[in-house]
Amino acid sequence: MARKSFWKRITIWRYLFLLACFIVIVGNPFTNYYWNINFIQGWFQSLGVGNLWVVSPLEGLESILTAKAFYMPSLIGMVVPVTLAFLMGRVFCSWMCPIEFLSLLTDKILGLIPKWGTKLKYRPDLIRLPKKLLWFALVTELMLTMIIGYPLFVWWSPPGLVGRETMFYVFYKHITVEIAVVVVVLLLNLPTRRFFCRYLCPLGATLALIGKWRQLVIRYDASKCVGCKVCDTRCPMGIKPSVGESQSVYCWNCAECVDACPTNALQFTWRDKGVIKVPSASMKEVKL
Amino acid sequence: MKKEKNTKGRREFLKVTLGMFLSGALTSCDLSQLKNPRTMIKSPIRPNILRPPGAVPEEHFAQKCIRCGRCGEVCPYHSIKYFDVKEAGVFSGTPYINVMEKPCYLCMKCVYVCPTGSLVPCSKEDVRMGVAVINRQICVTWQQQKTGLMCKTCFDVCPFAGIAIKIDHDFRPYIIEENCTGCGICAYSCIADTWYENKGKKAITIMPIKWKKIKEVSLKSVKNS
Repeated sequence: MARKSFWKRITIWRYLFLLACFIVIVGNPFTNYYWNINFIQGWFQSLGVGNLWVVSPLEGLESILTAKAFYMPSLIGMVVPVTLAFLMGRVFCSWMCPIEFLSLLTDKILGLIPKWGTKLKYRPDLIRLPKKLLWFALVTELMLTMIIGYPLFVWWSPPGLVGRETMFYVFYKHITVEIAVVVVVLLLNLPTRRFFCRYLCPLGATLALIGKWRQLVIRYDASKCVGCKVCDTRCPMGIKPSVGESQSVYCWNCAECVDACPTNALQFTWRDKGVIKVPSASMKEVKL
Repeated sequence: MKKEKNTKGRREFLKVTLGMFLSGALTSCDLSQLKNPRTMIKSPIRPNILRPPGAVPEEHFAQKCIRCGRCGEVCPYHSIKYFDVKEAGVFSGTPYINVMEKPCYLCMKCVYVCPTGSLVPCSKEDVRMGVAVINRQICVTWQQQKTGLMCKTCFDVCPFAGIAIKIDHDFRPYIIEENCTGCGICAYSCIADTWYENKGKKAITIMPIKWKKIKEVSLKSVKNS
């Protein structure tokens, strides 16, 4: 079966959305500094649009934990990302995060290399760790925060750092040593795709935890599957949609597998619309 | 045979790149500043280095602030700067105002964008970033016998002139501590450093407030006792 036409691919919209978010984050220090347009301020730790703002759930939680005080605007700011995670799962990571944009960009650039392109673009994972490490990362982060008594993720959050370093460069004409975190995260991307996002990102873990009860899932239709396993190679998170893992907590709804599937066996669905079936092994054998 | 050679070259290349990256990262860190580990957990707020207006007490500030940088982005004078991890440790990324570089002009934009309540919205008069202290040995007007100058610059620039700074019959300025916002415009524009005997010292310093002490001991009770 032929590939979907260009504009019908969901990933195209994802790339455009990522690009738009990246432009907003990187561009707003420039508008603030050179033209004094304060309509959009900040970055993904807290993004202000006009008089409204959103607060990143993990950073807000850490702030509450260490300061031991509630501040209503902060809690209200956390409502939007938490609701988004409840409805659509970890879409912040796959559709908005500037780190994902940069990783995707490196992947695409690697894909341009002649002869080796596709192999590098969809490279197999050299380092594989248990996926549960994500929860340990979240717990460790929160524990360290409580022990030290100061919020930590606000300082080293890679998606935040992209905005912060741009702002520092525009406003104060220097960048800080924290840029090393971003560089390390992008380098870890080379042996294993999205190594940091998969195993180490506490913010991703928070969103995944909330997104456990998400409504938007990728549904695997065993009756349509021909077992080509293209989806397994395309998935940047290293999960296997071909055995129904796309409904697990670790899926971040990036739609790479949906577009790669030649028979449309993988489709986005709202959870309440259809019964979600995880195919059993025996069923698969019968099919094959 | 040919393939082996290729891998070798690649490995060399990777090693060299990694080594260069690591050595670059190591040399870029100025380790001399890490000598005193106390600077990593001690608050970097000191005279003339102050928190933006409306800040909560310093002992809670770094815990509430989520380092989103919005106060610095909306500041139209670019007065608000951020601490570096090398000089401030766990306080890195929190905002400060160095009044000697650029004072706060009390436009009160930053307090309305803070998402976590580290900067609490308040009116101009209620801002207490610090308290201006005049060094009378350096102030050219207080030393008029020696200098023969009559300056009153601080009185002219103060946004609360006549309330926070007053001048006596000899035009010598003095601070009313209860009304001083600590914005630092007076310290910034003090001309005492141009007088040759002062060797570049300014006569006004903004001292950060020890919030609790100021609240417990008001000036009146000190006068009465």
